[in-house]
Amino acid sequence: MSREIQEGIRVQARELLGLGEISCVIGYEQGPKGRVRPAFVYDQAGTDRLVWDQTCHHNLVVYLHDRRKGGKTSAASRVAVVARPCDVRALNVLIHEGQVSREEVFVIGVACPGMAEGATLQAHCQRCRERVPVFYDALVGEPARVKLPADDWSDVAELEGMTPAERLAFWSREFDRCIRCYACRQACPGCYCFECLAEQVDPAWVSIAHGLSQKAFFHVMRAYHLAGRCVECQACDQACPMHIPLSLLNRKIAKEVEALFNYKAGGDPEIPPPLATFLKDEELPL
Amino acid sequence: MKATSRSDLLAWLDALSEQYTVIAPRMVDGELLYRPVHASDEVVLDFERTRLSAKSYLLPETEVILEIERQEGQVTLGEPRLDRDQVILLRPCDARALRALDALLLDRPPADAYYADRREKTSLIGLACPQLWDDCFCTSLGSAPDDASAVDVMVYKDGDAHLVEVITGKGRALMDGLEAEEVERPTPHSDRSGEQIAVLAPEDWPGLFDEAYWHQLAERCLSCHACTYVCPTCRCFDVRDDTTAAGASYTHIQRLRAWDSCMASAYRRIAGGHNPRPDKAQRLRNRYYCKFCYSPSDFGAVACVGCGRCIEVCPVGVDIAEMLANVAALAKGRSA
Repeated sequence: MSREIQEGIRVQARELLGLGEISCVIGYEQGPKGRVRPAFVYDQAGTDRLVWDQTCHHNLVVYLHDRRKGGKTSAASRVAVVARPCDVRALNVLIHEGQVSREEVFVIGVACPGMAEGATLQAHCQRCRERVPVFYDALVGEPARVKLPADDWSDVAELEGMTPAERLAFWSREFDRCIRCYACRQACPGCYCFECLAEQVDPAWVSIAHGLSQKAFFHVMRAYHLAGRCVECQACDQACPMHIPLSLLNRKIAKEVEALFNYKAGGDPEIPPPLATFLKDEELPL
Repeated sequence: MKATSRSDLLAWLDALSEQYTVIAPRMVDGELLYRPVHASDEVVLDFERTRLSAKSYLLPETEVILEIERQEGQVTLGEPRLDRDQVILLRPCDARALRALDALLLDRPPADAYYADRREKTSLIGLACPQLWDDCFCTSLGSAPDDASAVDVMVYKDGDAHLVEVITGKGRALMDGLEAEEVERPTPHSDRSGEQIAVLAPEDWPGLFDEAYWHQLAERCLSCHACTYVCPTCRCFDVRDDTTAAGASYTHIQRLRAWDSCMASAYRRIAGGHNPRPDKAQRLRNRYYCKFCYSPSDFGAVACVGCGRCIEVCPVGVDIAEMLANVAALAKGRSA
């Protein structure tokens, strides 16, 4: 499966770069120590570097923000990005928020078999019901024929089963390890503020201290800012050097959003996110 | 050289903890970290590397360097100091990394008073690595897994037992509580095999400043602070007067010093809003130039010990050892 996807990505990349339709393919390569990492390929010769396997966990959509800083994009700066279903949902969120325009990006969609964790799939991939991206310009790989169980939110139920005191103790313990490196935020396509509230100097909302209250504030604030926007790609968990289960916060909020608005972030190219929409006469479900 | 059993070594740590705060590798919720230990059974002696370095005990993540108390028109100032001497059990590279901190904060007057105080009150017990681990490259930076040059006492593993070598006078002062047998043994050597990476001399770096390579290298960089915070030699900090921290208010102000990272886009921003390093490639390049060019030229110490932590934690596989090899190749290409 991975081999087919990898071959498909290389074929697409060679063709697109050969036609001059795009300037760069953002995909994955193998680093010097054997670990997979993001890769930027600008010419056909480089396409053999591109790899794909079930450890390609980075959400490459995050790199589209870098490319916008140069200002208005032209056809030559159009890029192709290798994207799993969750990555495409992140792209969809960015399109709805006016951060990226659909025409700027050629989506090499991956029919995703899920990300591996040992011999099994990562928990979020086990409950993922989407093996094919909601949109793409080319699809690589064959959609896996898997039973797709409904999300039972059991991970969130565990959290909800705690008393407030237990929950505070749980998160305090987790956040205590945080080193304020912001890897979670930087790896997240949904976090693209020019200046993060956690680092703003004037006004300085958050102290520069690396204390539990600053760490907890940052993570809770970030989770709220991602309400209805987090696509559950778990780039944050993967990036965290201290292995804090950050996405669990987002999951709790995703559950609330789904219950209130019957909405899954980025799940439909036509439907804008509920917290970025206001309809006259709308009835708030609250 | 002294020979001692594992249990006597641990008993020694318990004895030391009566007089010192003993900081040693300990599992904390799944992460191996240098942390104060309450009893020696918490100490992990067989390990590769801790996730974070030991620098936070010399240059804390957050440190109150001045307390300003205002009451009834009176202003009083307080300068908190470390109240107890500390002993840190650490890898040789983490001890050696303190040289880079010393070079900036201690060696040239005026010394940083807070750092100097902690350094003075700190003794280092090295735990020799038997070999290089994945991502490590200390031998490429003039060191070795058993480098005893920066510790006060060195502990080597010897089968199930340990050999203990006193290196400095400060180390000798720690030895009282150790049950050990004096033995005539040569200093044990660790396995030094591993890839040797060519590291350019400081004077060879400036000519490569404008290479397109830095932009290629940084393309995948996310500009997070992980590499700088896990790094045992990165020593940048920010200082601010704070009334929002716990315990601070408008009548009680704390002057805080906290770690800062040159990877942050606002790190170099100056009054008026100008930012001389707005691009992440400029920032990543600066981090490496700081380590291998500016620090050795300005302060006399390369600010990298090859511990491999930044390689291990980088979420996107930016690899300092790969960079060193690529930069050496670039320099060679230029001179050819």
